[in-house]
Amino acid sequence: MTDKSPLFEFKDVHVEVEGKEVVKGVSLKIFAGEIHAIMGPNGSGKSSLSNALMGHPMYSITKGEAYIKGESILEMESDERSRAGMFLAFQYPLAIPGVSVANFLRAALKSHRGEDADMSDFRSLLKKEMAELSIDPAFATRYLNDGFSGGEKKRIEILQMSILNPSVALLDETDSGLDIDALKTVSAGINRYHDDSKGILLVTHYQRLLNYIKPDHVHVMSDGKFIKSGGPELALKLEDEGYDWIVNQTTVGA
Amino acid sequence: MKQNPEFLINEMTPHLHRGPDWLKAMRRSDRLGFNEAELPPRGIHLWRYTDPIRFMMDIDTATDADFTGALDAVVKAEAEHVKEGRLAALVTDRGGRDIDVQISPAGLPQGVIIGSLSDASESNFDLVKEHLYQMINRKSGKFEAMNGALWNDGIFIYVPDNVVIEKPVHLFREAGGENSATFPRLLVIVGRNAEVTLIDEYGGGSPDRNKGISFSNGAVELFGSEDSRTRYVSLQRYAPAMNSYFTHRAKLKQNATMLTIPLVFGGELCKQSFGVELAGAGADSKMYGLLFGSNRQHFDNHTLHHHSAGKSTSDIDFKVVLKDRALSAYTGLIRIDNKARTCEAYQENRNLLLNPGTRAETIPELEILNEDVSCSHGATLGPIDEESIFYLKSRGIERNEAVRMIVGGFVQSTFKLVPEDLKDRLSDFVATRLETI
Ligand SMILES: Nc1ncnc2c1ncn2[C@@H]1O[C@H](COP(=O)(O)OP(=O)(O)OP(=O)(O)O)[C@@H](O)[C@H]1O
Ligand SMILES: [Mg+2]
Repeated sequence: MTDKSPLFEFKDVHVEVEGKEVVKGVSLKIFAGEIHAIMGPNGSGKSSLSNALMGHPMYSITKGEAYIKGESILEMESDERSRAGMFLAFQYPLAIPGVSVANFLRAALKSHRGEDADMSDFRSLLKKEMAELSIDPAFATRYLNDGFSGGEKKRIEILQMSILNPSVALLDETDSGLDIDALKTVSAGINRYHDDSKGILLVTHYQRLLNYIKPDHVHVMSDGKFIKSGGPELALKLEDEGYDWIVNQTTVGA
Repeated sequence: MKQNPEFLINEMTPHLHRGPDWLKAMRRSDRLGFNEAELPPRGIHLWRYTDPIRFMMDIDTATDADFTGALDAVVKAEAEHVKEGRLAALVTDRGGRDIDVQISPAGLPQGVIIGSLSDASESNFDLVKEHLYQMINRKSGKFEAMNGALWNDGIFIYVPDNVVIEKPVHLFREAGGENSATFPRLLVIVGRNAEVTLIDEYGGGSPDRNKGISFSNGAVELFGSEDSRTRYVSLQRYAPAMNSYFTHRAKLKQNATMLTIPLVFGGELCKQSFGVELAGAGADSKMYGLLFGSNRQHFDNHTLHHHSAGKSTSDIDFKVVLKDRALSAYTGLIRIDNKARTCEAYQENRNLLLNPGTRAETIPELEILNEDVSCSHGATLGPIDEESIFYLKSRGIERNEAVRMIVGGFVQSTFKLVPEDLKDRLSDFVATRLETI
């Protein structure tokens, strides 16, 4: 199969939050099998972009287009985007008191499959995926993210991704808050998930994640725009030199 | 049956002439109490949200309770649970007329009494006389006096010292259909170091306002002796055209503990008061309530924790979920006497409003007469947080299902405390309400 059309694509996306434009026209094509990384200073709009693409009610896309497998997502509700194959691992996952991790995942899976998963199949799937991510089985009955540590929340996000097996995963700083061992386990989880039918867009501040997950393309976001794109070597340069050199370069060039 | 703001209890009312002489005297005293008391002034304090005239039923115009049979299936199922030993006993109270007791095949521990108040007021004269009307009587208020005069028969439960009843005792009170008035009454005495779990369920009543409303006015007194452990669940699931008034009072002696779970679902208008006095050091009362209102239901609930002894602790979490045009007013009073030092008292009232048009009022009241206490109260009200809904939606779950899950999560902490035997039915009540979101 020649895959000319992108798996996921957005064009000239502008995002507004609280009446302020924080993403100012960004475009990207992700082809099946590709991993893209977005890096950029705090407040540059990375989370706003990811949230808006997932349909967060506070982040509205005021201009632009976005497609998954050629289908426009902007008219879709968030749940439809999820069922169409999108997934966002949140930078700050919320707690949902009273709803257990297992029940939550079962409901999510049901919505994707259109029917209840067989209870014992579900249990063994959950058990297996939790073991792969070194999550204590006791977490299955704990309330979603309720009192979880920062690192535990991030693992649970990846657990959700593994179980829902989306076509496109947006991972917003999944590495932050993870200790060194957790970073390895979580990266291994992401790599297990990824194959040449999947696309990943990961937001990170650190090269160390990219040592485990090799991006094909790296984009630098600053003040709501992608100001530079390159290969994996760009991340290394950023690690050494910070963002100033590009920001200056672009302002000079502008 | 008509509302009548001028209603007076007639001397000839048959209820007044039931029981031994001492009981008749109490009834007559409460009759006077009712007749002499002014109608509570509308708009002040506990009557800010509810018109007292709604409870001024001219019971002389009431028709005799006609039981709709709507609850027969539940009684049957519960009777099975008794046979299977999942319940220690089932007491059915049809409008205060017949009190019927079924006991599990294993029997009850020695000395336990579960039966009608009328029997007990003859055969256990001392015990009943010493406790009945102790906490709820003409001094409590006009409508408390109304129950005190007019209750026909009620339920009596006595658990002797050091006796543990392992399985719950289910009290099933059925009100009559349209135009009927019932006055349920319950007296519970839990001995020293004794333990019991009670499920006190109120159902029945008029299903249709156009045919006429029904009225219920209940009173429950619970005494927890030293070191006793009581769990009391009040489940109010009246039919839609019921106006109900309900007063609950409990008193805990040294190191006695009590868990009170008010579950409030039914009726058109429902005013309830749950109160526990912590009268001994080490006494602990927890009250975890759950109210679910829909359509145009009107709820007015009070809780009272009165610390009359030092070193006592209390905690309240009263949760409210409202949809359609339902209204809930909650007034939570914590009173700590001057002599009651080093007490802890906490109170929380959370209201989840599922759509605009619902209304929740929350009024915390603190009367704390010494400084040596640890006390806090809090209240929240508002719709479900959109961010939470978004989180669930982002995993493929549709909005309505997300709302159901979040509400289910909200009520979970109360559900967890409910006796096993009631859990499934309780989930069904909540699920039925959430179906139409
Ligand atoms: N909910 C919100 N309300 C108000 N302002 C917001 C909100 N979310 C984001 N912003 C603003 O939008 C801009 C971009 O924020 P965003 O979170 O997208 O940055 P980021 O690149 O993800 O930063 P970080 O690296 O710190 O996570 C910031 O100025 C931020 O203050
Ligand atoms: Mg961010």
